[in-house]
Amino acid sequence: MNVFISGGAKNGKSMFAQRAAKEMAEEKGAPLYYVATMIPHDEEDEARIARHIREREGWGFTTVEAGRDICGVLDEADPDGVFLLDSVTALLANEMFSKDGYDPGAGEKVAEELAEFARRTGNTVFVSDYIYSDAARYDEMTENYRRALAAADRRLARVCDRVAEVSCGTVIFHKGDKI
Amino acid sequence: MILIFGGAYQGKKEYAVKNYSIESEDILILSEEDRTLPAARAYGNFHEFTYGFAKRGESADEYLRENMESLKDKIIISDDISSGIVPVDTTLRAWREMHGRCLNMLAAEADEVVRVFCGIGSRIK
Repeated sequence: MNVFISGGAKNGKSMFAQRAAKEMAEEKGAPLYYVATMIPHDEEDEARIARHIREREGWGFTTVEAGRDICGVLDEADPDGVFLLDSVTALLANEMFSKDGYDPGAGEKVAEELAEFARRTGNTVFVSDYIYSDAARYDEMTENYRRALAAADRRLARVCDRVAEVSCGTVIFHKGDKI
Repeated sequence: MILIFGGAYQGKKEYAVKNYSIESEDILILSEEDRTLPAARAYGNFHEFTYGFAKRGESADEYLRENMESLKDKIIISDDISSGIVPVDTTLRAWREMHGRCLNMLAAEADEVVRVFCGIGSRIK
């Protein structure tokens, strides 16, 4: 089962996603993978990653790293496993704003590859961030990023079996009614 | 009246076309330049309309109050801009509040209110 999860920051998305992925893996007796999407740029990022790794300790995740070209993960990991991909937001940022510069068209590639990832694994929990409801006027580059992230979100919402919004630790199902 | 709202780029217009008997050409896309709501079956980017009022220091709530009657059979589509940090900029701050008041007024009058999340609508009224 593919699951798409979004919601505001610090609402409990990652915790819910971890639980969902762990349950799915236990049910299937399948290996459980954490797809790490963050590319560290400084000490702050390193510390954040270390904290996330500590938080996942004892959950049984095997961490596979993929800052970009997400389907490359499936060359090393077993596609029949259960994957937690946290987050779509970081993946798109890596692809759109890399050391090679700004790629305005990265959104289409990311949406396409994520849909492919969902199709090939059949058991992935995708986590994204709901960054669409603030009263701000952004520059075109930022606006393009938001537009592209929303397009990837909508694409995943279409192909996933479950769509859930996490708000204050509470889960609202927009597709399906439980994991 | 039907109010369809949600975050930016959530597929609200597409949802309107799919679920109500309108074509995308029936949706008049508003901009901050619009000072009145021209005749149309449906309005898109209603948040741009209120942004114009905020920018000009005018009251969109007042406009709505005076024109509510003419909106009775319309579909109104708008971004929800209520869930970010309070903007430092005066215009954006005024816009955020005014827009909130306007959506509340529309929702109170509407027969149906739908929130769209990643292309999926939930009828909340």
